[in-house]
Amino acid sequence: MIQEILLLKELLGNNEMIYRTVIGLGYMLIYPGLIMIVIAAALLLWAERKIVALVQLRYGPLWISRRIGGALQGFADLIRFSFQEVIIPRRSDVIPFLLSPGLAILFSVLPIAFMPVSPYIKPPIHSDIGLLAAIAVISVAPIFIVLMGWASDNKFAFVGSLREALLIVSYEIPFIISILSMGVMFGSLDFYEIVERQSLLPGMLLNPFAFLASFIAMLRVTSRFPFEISEAETEIVAGPYTEYSGLMFGLSMGLAYIKLYVYALMVSLVFLGGWLPIVSGEGVIGGFLIPSLIVILKLTVVSLVAVFLRAVYGRYRIDQAIRIGWIHVFALSIVSLVWSIILVYGGWVRWA
Amino acid sequence: MEVDSKSISTQALEELSKELIQQRDLGITEEGERLIELQIGPTHPGSGHMRIRVWVDGDIIVRCDPDIGFVFRTIEKLSENRIYMKTIPLVERPSLLDTTPMTIGYINALEKLMGIEPPPRAKYLRTILAELTRIASHLYGIGIFAIFLGHSTGFMWGFGDRELFVELANQLSGARITYAYVIPGGVRRDMPQSFPDNVEKALRYFEKRLPDWYKMFLNNPVVEKRLREVGILRKNDAAKLGITGPNLRASGIEYDVRVADPYEAYDELDFMVPVADEGDAYARALVRFEEIKQSINIIRDALRKMPGGDIIHPQIARMFNPLMKKIYEESRRVKFPGVFASLKPPKGEATARVEAGRGEALFYLVSDGSPRPYRFRWTTPSYRNAILFKYLVPGHRLADLPAIYGSIDYFPPEADR
Repeated sequence: MIQEILLLKELLGNNEMIYRTVIGLGYMLIYPGLIMIVIAAALLLWAERKIVALVQLRYGPLWISRRIGGALQGFADLIRFSFQEVIIPRRSDVIPFLLSPGLAILFSVLPIAFMPVSPYIKPPIHSDIGLLAAIAVISVAPIFIVLMGWASDNKFAFVGSLREALLIVSYEIPFIISILSMGVMFGSLDFYEIVERQSLLPGMLLNPFAFLASFIAMLRVTSRFPFEISEAETEIVAGPYTEYSGLMFGLSMGLAYIKLYVYALMVSLVFLGGWLPIVSGEGVIGGFLIPSLIVILKLTVVSLVAVFLRAVYGRYRIDQAIRIGWIHVFALSIVSLVWSIILVYGGWVRWA
Repeated sequence: MEVDSKSISTQALEELSKELIQQRDLGITEEGERLIELQIGPTHPGSGHMRIRVWVDGDIIVRCDPDIGFVFRTIEKLSENRIYMKTIPLVERPSLLDTTPMTIGYINALEKLMGIEPPPRAKYLRTILAELTRIASHLYGIGIFAIFLGHSTGFMWGFGDRELFVELANQLSGARITYAYVIPGGVRRDMPQSFPDNVEKALRYFEKRLPDWYKMFLNNPVVEKRLREVGILRKNDAAKLGITGPNLRASGIEYDVRVADPYEAYDELDFMVPVADEGDAYARALVRFEEIKQSINIIRDALRKMPGGDIIHPQIARMFNPLMKKIYEESRRVKFPGVFASLKPPKGEATARVEAGRGEALFYLVSDGSPRPYRFRWTTPSYRNAILFKYLVPGHRLADLPAIYGSIDYFPPEADR
């Protein structure tokens, strides 16, 4: 136990309830929760534009904060979005129209409550079915995307949200199956045990099928290329977000990046070994900051690969994407489940 | 006048039933819910202003009707009120990305009327600029095509690499896009000393880029999946509809005006006419890439075989005043003699054909002996290819419409003129 936390505990009069509330709020709102997510999303947006620009032989964001390569571009966009007028279409269904972006973001951020980033500070809800709970919460978010399109009363928004609904169904199921097949293999749905049991080999080597299936499904679920079909700019303007403007547009555009952050966090915990190679540390620095930075690093690598694909691929047609989802990715996820079962019942993996 | 109410009502009924029959043929139920009519455009759905009216049954397009004419600029009528020289920049405007072949066609018709033929060096220079424009035009088309598929790298690369050829054309003619380089009896200026080296440098760079292009765009699995078996144009349909240019050659018909009816220096140069048999969107993209390769060959060959001598017909050079002569001899630039302002070709008519980037363009010029053309008729390739929307699109999904639009490289201003 380190001094800082003890000090904090003393300050709060050793009240366990208040202590946990403060830590929980900090976890959810500051790090690795909301504020960290906003920063990460803005930086990820910048990194995406910069990487894609590199491939496309141009500069990318340049003029805002020129000395650091335009890294503040994302924040500048955020500020611009915040001060732009929010236009509410007269024919829209106002309450769902206004609420759904916020709710979608809420349900995208909530899974953080189940996901640890360090061995020392536990997430607000430390549950032994954390993996299942995190997946369950985040799969609520697409409903609000569909609601956005429905409430906008716009042909393009409606088509976009229908596409989103179709695609989410065909890709979230493989994602859930392949992630849960890791649960089968590790014999646990507790993130701590999952991370602990990767100390020899990371999950992506233990079950490469699951990693591949869930990575492809993650690309679709977070609207990355080549599955960026629900927002296809040359076909349906901006998909479900067509009628949004100002801050609401910023929120709905940021949604994909927030989801990417959360999904990449899940993938790096389940497949890349979370905060390993650090097993356990002492105090806030060694037990929380450094392990969490390792997790963030792994998460960044996963999401950078995901955003890089924008430079490589065009987008699939929706029927092709659905076919790929139901035939290839779904089959791959079933294979991963079978592989896990074989490993467990064949006695290849044995957990103490 | 007395109105027979009965007859009117039957007439109205008849019309209504006709409409219903028409609707039934289109698959519309009585509630009118089966088909949705979508208006794509007219504000710039792709590479210019046009409207595509699409009737969809779910996601499947049942009928497609290209609505052209939003950028109709009365070029033919305008030219009847201008002197011959002022029509040269005018014919460049509609097909802005593909200007030189158009001016060549117009000037060829005019030269036929005047009965003069440019000196060989001028012919070679015209050919080189036309091929540079063809590459630039194809790269533009491929860039637009790529962004239709959501492939942003193809878009940026297309526009980026196009810059090379635009810059080369700038060095040759002094303008980036609207060159007005070709004038009756020759060209406006000779190529600079450094031009062949710069061309070689640019071509080498682009040839190094081509494998990347194939890797990134043509052999990209997503792009292939989007384009193969999409918008198939059969050989006999292509012939029947009068399709032209790379779209025709992608359907397996080897027809190129540069070979069929050689103009300028094309009969002296080595090149092949790339043909594909599939006739789908992928074949059309492939043919464009192969044409770029052939254009590179043509430019190289033309620079190698470039003859010396004058760049303007001696009959016109004779009319230079001393200052013009001095400028021409010192810097090889042609200043227009006064005769161009009142150019009066003898009575008669002439036609000329060229192979522009998007296909065959036909020019028909009638002179009545006055300084203005009596009639100027101009058929552009995009105009002839516009019909493809109607025949290729139905039966495909809505998301295939951008793929087909991009693959036929349709440019509305060129079609509307």
